[in-house]
Amino acid sequence: MDVDASPDDIAQKLTSAGLEVEAVENLGEKFDKFVVGYVKNVVKHPKADKLSLCDVEIADGAVIRVVCGAPNVAAGQKVPVALVGALIPSNMHDPEGKPFTIARAKIRGEESNGMICAESELGLSQDAAGIMVLKDSARVGMPLSEYLGMDDVAFEIGVTPNRPDCLGHIGVAREIASAYGVPLTLPAAPVTENQNDPVAAAAVVRVENSADCPRYAARVVKNVTIGPSPGWMQDRLTVAGVRPINAVVDVTNYVMLEYNQPLHAFDYDRLAGHTIVVKTALPGEKFTTLDGKERPLPENALMICDAERAVAVAGVMGGQNSEITSATVNILLESAYFNPVSVRKTSKQLGLSTDASYRFERGIDPSATVEAVNRAASLIAEIAGGAVCAGVIDEYPAPVEVKRVRVRPSRVNQILGTAIAPQEITGYFTSIGIGVTSAREDEIECTIPAWRPDIEQEIDLVEEVARLHGFSNIEDKMVSEIDFSNKYVSAATTDRVRTWLADNGFNEIVSNSLLDEATAAMFSDKLVKLMNPISKEQSVMRPNLLVSLLQTVVHNSHYGTDSMRVFEMGRGFTVAHPAETDVVIPGFRERDLTGICLTGKAAAQTWFGAERAVDIFDMKGVVSALLNKIALDKYRFIYYDGQDALTDQRVGVEINGVYAGYFGRVAAEICRKLKIETGVFVAELSFDALDERERVFRQYVPVLKYPVVERDAAFIVANDVPSSSIEATIRESGGILLRSVELFDLFEGKSVGEGMKSVAYALRFASAERTLTETEIEHVMNAVIAAVTTNHRAVLRAVETK
Amino acid sequence: MAQTTAQSLHTAIHTLREELAGAFAAVTTQADAESFRITYLSRNGKVAALFESMKSLPGPDKPVFGKLLNELKKSVEATFAEIASRIEAASASTASRVDLTLPGRTLPLGSIHPVTQTLNEIKSIFVAMGFDIADGPEIEDDYHNFEALNFHPHHPARDMQDTFFVSKDVLLRTHTSPVQIRTMKKQKPPIRTIMPGRVYRNEAISARSYCTFHQVEGLYVDKNVSFSELKGTLVAFAKQFYGSDINYKFRPSYFPFTEPSLEMDISCFLCKGKGCRICKQSGFLEVLGAGMVHPNVLRNVGIDPEEYSGYAFGMGIDRTALLRHGINDIRLLFENDVRFLRQF
Ligand SMILES: [Zn+2]
Repeated sequence: MDVDASPDDIAQKLTSAGLEVEAVENLGEKFDKFVVGYVKNVVKHPKADKLSLCDVEIADGAVIRVVCGAPNVAAGQKVPVALVGALIPSNMHDPEGKPFTIARAKIRGEESNGMICAESELGLSQDAAGIMVLKDSARVGMPLSEYLGMDDVAFEIGVTPNRPDCLGHIGVAREIASAYGVPLTLPAAPVTENQNDPVAAAAVVRVENSADCPRYAARVVKNVTIGPSPGWMQDRLTVAGVRPINAVVDVTNYVMLEYNQPLHAFDYDRLAGHTIVVKTALPGEKFTTLDGKERPLPENALMICDAERAVAVAGVMGGQNSEITSATVNILLESAYFNPVSVRKTSKQLGLSTDASYRFERGIDPSATVEAVNRAASLIAEIAGGAVCAGVIDEYPAPVEVKRVRVRPSRVNQILGTAIAPQEITGYFTSIGIGVTSAREDEIECTIPAWRPDIEQEIDLVEEVARLHGFSNIEDKMVSEIDFSNKYVSAATTDRVRTWLADNGFNEIVSNSLLDEATAAMFSDKLVKLMNPISKEQSVMRPNLLVSLLQTVVHNSHYGTDSMRVFEMGRGFTVAHPAETDVVIPGFRERDLTGICLTGKAAAQTWFGAERAVDIFDMKGVVSALLNKIALDKYRFIYYDGQDALTDQRVGVEINGVYAGYFGRVAAEICRKLKIETGVFVAELSFDALDERERVFRQYVPVLKYPVVERDAAFIVANDVPSSSIEATIRESGGILLRSVELFDLFEGKSVGEGMKSVAYALRFASAERTLTETEIEHVMNAVIAAVTTNHRAVLRAVETK
Repeated sequence: MAQTTAQSLHTAIHTLREELAGAFAAVTTQADAESFRITYLSRNGKVAALFESMKSLPGPDKPVFGKLLNELKKSVEATFAEIASRIEAASASTASRVDLTLPGRTLPLGSIHPVTQTLNEIKSIFVAMGFDIADGPEIEDDYHNFEALNFHPHHPARDMQDTFFVSKDVLLRTHTSPVQIRTMKKQKPPIRTIMPGRVYRNEAISARSYCTFHQVEGLYVDKNVSFSELKGTLVAFAKQFYGSDINYKFRPSYFPFTEPSLEMDISCFLCKGKGCRICKQSGFLEVLGAGMVHPNVLRNVGIDPEEYSGYAFGMGIDRTALLRHGINDIRLLFENDVRFLRQF
């Protein structure tokens, strides 16, 4: 392919086509300011025996003086020269080999304007014995990277799972060719075969499970020499992230990178019967893979076997028993197409993902199988010597059918919101190898190349048009008419609760809903446990928000913060009985909760007042005010809600007649276990009983036009009589003229008698129609006093007029 | 008593004038004023004494000095009245003086978590565009989280999302996309909904990644919904949320449940696109993924893809919150240190 474009332009084009270029590495960059030089003349340094003064030609006619310490420097050599400003990656005179930059210098009084380099100084090898001498054919002034063939650019591309074809260089090249509108030429793979040694006589392949192995091709190469592959191949593999091993293995990897066709080389002489059998593993079978690990094979794993035993896990990894060693002479090359799902299952169950399995499970090109094995055989013959047996074994009983997909240009334009002409659409298709068998105005029929397993239906072709047309060429428009048939009410309850709490001095927290089992078990015996946790600390889901609130108290106490007002709105998770049907996912219950926590001081010691610790009435005040605001008046407290192991001083909350949670003090035992030293007060509420969509408006009550009269009444009553019931009695007996009742004093002590308490209430009276008379108020007060003294065996202590 | 002469009275008046200048200046309190009054203006005061001594002057001098002394007396009385009233005013305010530098009685300051604040802003933008809000369970089944979204059981794209399982087919949702399925099954088009919520990934906790985080998903299904309109909506959102001066670009991407799929990059709002550490010198930040709802997904929920089309988009909230508030470690979002929370 012949493209004249900068690496950045290519990167941008690839990214626009859906192949995101994550990095562009200019491999030659490290040899910036290194050139090929010609040593014209060498004389001894006048003041130093071991140094020479060299005149080096670094460009046509340009000669510099360089001081050199290498014993092997001589006139007439072509050498690598680091010019002023070049960065030497490794300084051989520095104990740590730190890099340094070449500067103009005087060495023992003689000027030096560069450096002639050793291989070690260029990072090319460990050889530090003397300077590197280049081939005579090297052109003076040529960039060293070019001489070394290291002037390539490497693109790092994030390939999405739908584009397995781009896991091979040919696939990426196809996209570049399409982007620049140039033809693509694939590497030729002419195989010189030994006609006297037909492969049919050399090996047998039998596929017993053709569902999982639709195609299996093989070639045999005899009398190879196992040695290192050539430098250029090693360099390219290294850049692609593959470690060079030996010429044969390197070729299989090299061809895999080119064609996206994983190959495997077996030691032909270690294959019993020179036979390959592709079949499913036996139950309980074990196998030792190349990495030396013995692995139990998963059920239905597809195996490559010889006449006697398994020799590879198909598509995943070869076996130790047949691998290429330095003693290998003859090889059998495998190039197959395995079922993606079969390979994925086996790879997952083995916990073994390889370059091969990664490609197979995404789907390779079943039509390139033979081409790839030919290319590998020809490269091996070229690099490692040997003779290729005549012919290819190709077990391909049911060739993959060519997919035909139709696309309507009108549909393309409807989905994309464009007006792309049918001719333009067919042009995009043919540029990436999609065949167009018929093109009408209303429908285009395409044949999909085998390397594109992702294209199955019309929408897949719509996507091809979108990306090849370019997203930036599709207009950004907003045509939707706003439609208010949707039902969202902006003042959703949760938003109102959150705002109220934040406005009232609570800090919102967001906690991890995963935690350790030991802690969570203190809060519930119905924990949802993860099957595959990252760690013990995050192995179960929180059953409620209480545990998150307490973990927050603990965390903050480590940093000396003991007073806190925090809340969280999130979910608690528990397992549900299978019979519970009011859940979304059977067996699991999720509750949307609001957790509130108060701890430490309600008020700090200040110049105007003493400090006071938070108590249950602070929490009661918060919950009452919140519910008043959010739930209007549709809530009720259930006193003495009962104790549980988690809280005491617990009060239940009902909203709209549905139990909605509680507030209370965290039980001492829980605090002790969590090492919390202060009292912690919590509320956990669910607002599910409030229907967000129900528009409820607080109804106006006319304000009073007539004066309000106040009376205080104090009673002595047994100290186990609840304040709320005295209040209820007062309200009931006060009738409609009584507007409010408020407890303003409470005490126990010797003065009121053992087991008794004094309670004092402020009563406010008013009428909506007239000014009340003294007599009217007297009358009501008498009724109130009579009711309280009778119902609660109370004694009136005082009545006061205000 | 020494004989008063015109000369001596002159001198006495002059001396008193000089003395008064200093005496007035010294009056700063009510007590000062009272002693000034007694010293100079009382019946036995120094001014009265001069009138007394005038009596022994020779006859013709008397009217001259009488006039002189009367003028002196008037001017002293006027100045004194002025000073006295000023002092009185000052002392009245002194009586109620409060040290206003004492600390005030504080109200506790609450806060909304930065993730919630960010989400609220995103929500309000889409609600204004006519989107509804929906939610679904965090413990999800494989069908809604993967299969109905066109990830078949052995789809390699499942590797893109490391998943926590609670049983063979039940998992912690890896994205908010399953809510799309639940919404489309419940509702007939037109559907225009955003779906915020908490998601989980089985990833090691570090400064850059956490096992739980928050996403917002968006879905619009109706007749003639197009890719072009998806882009328009995303641009409108991005300009509202990130600022009208941003640059943006769209890249093709891949999600099994949308096709064509895109990712949107916006110019880095920290460096204004110049390139910084946060945007890895690229000048752009990846902010969201989107695409046209895949026909397979529509078929899975019983919507005819020939009749309807739709778009979907999704974005992470936590990372945006980190960037907006200059927080460099995602773990801070979940640690709930109140010293951190009180800053927002
Ligand atoms: Zn930036």
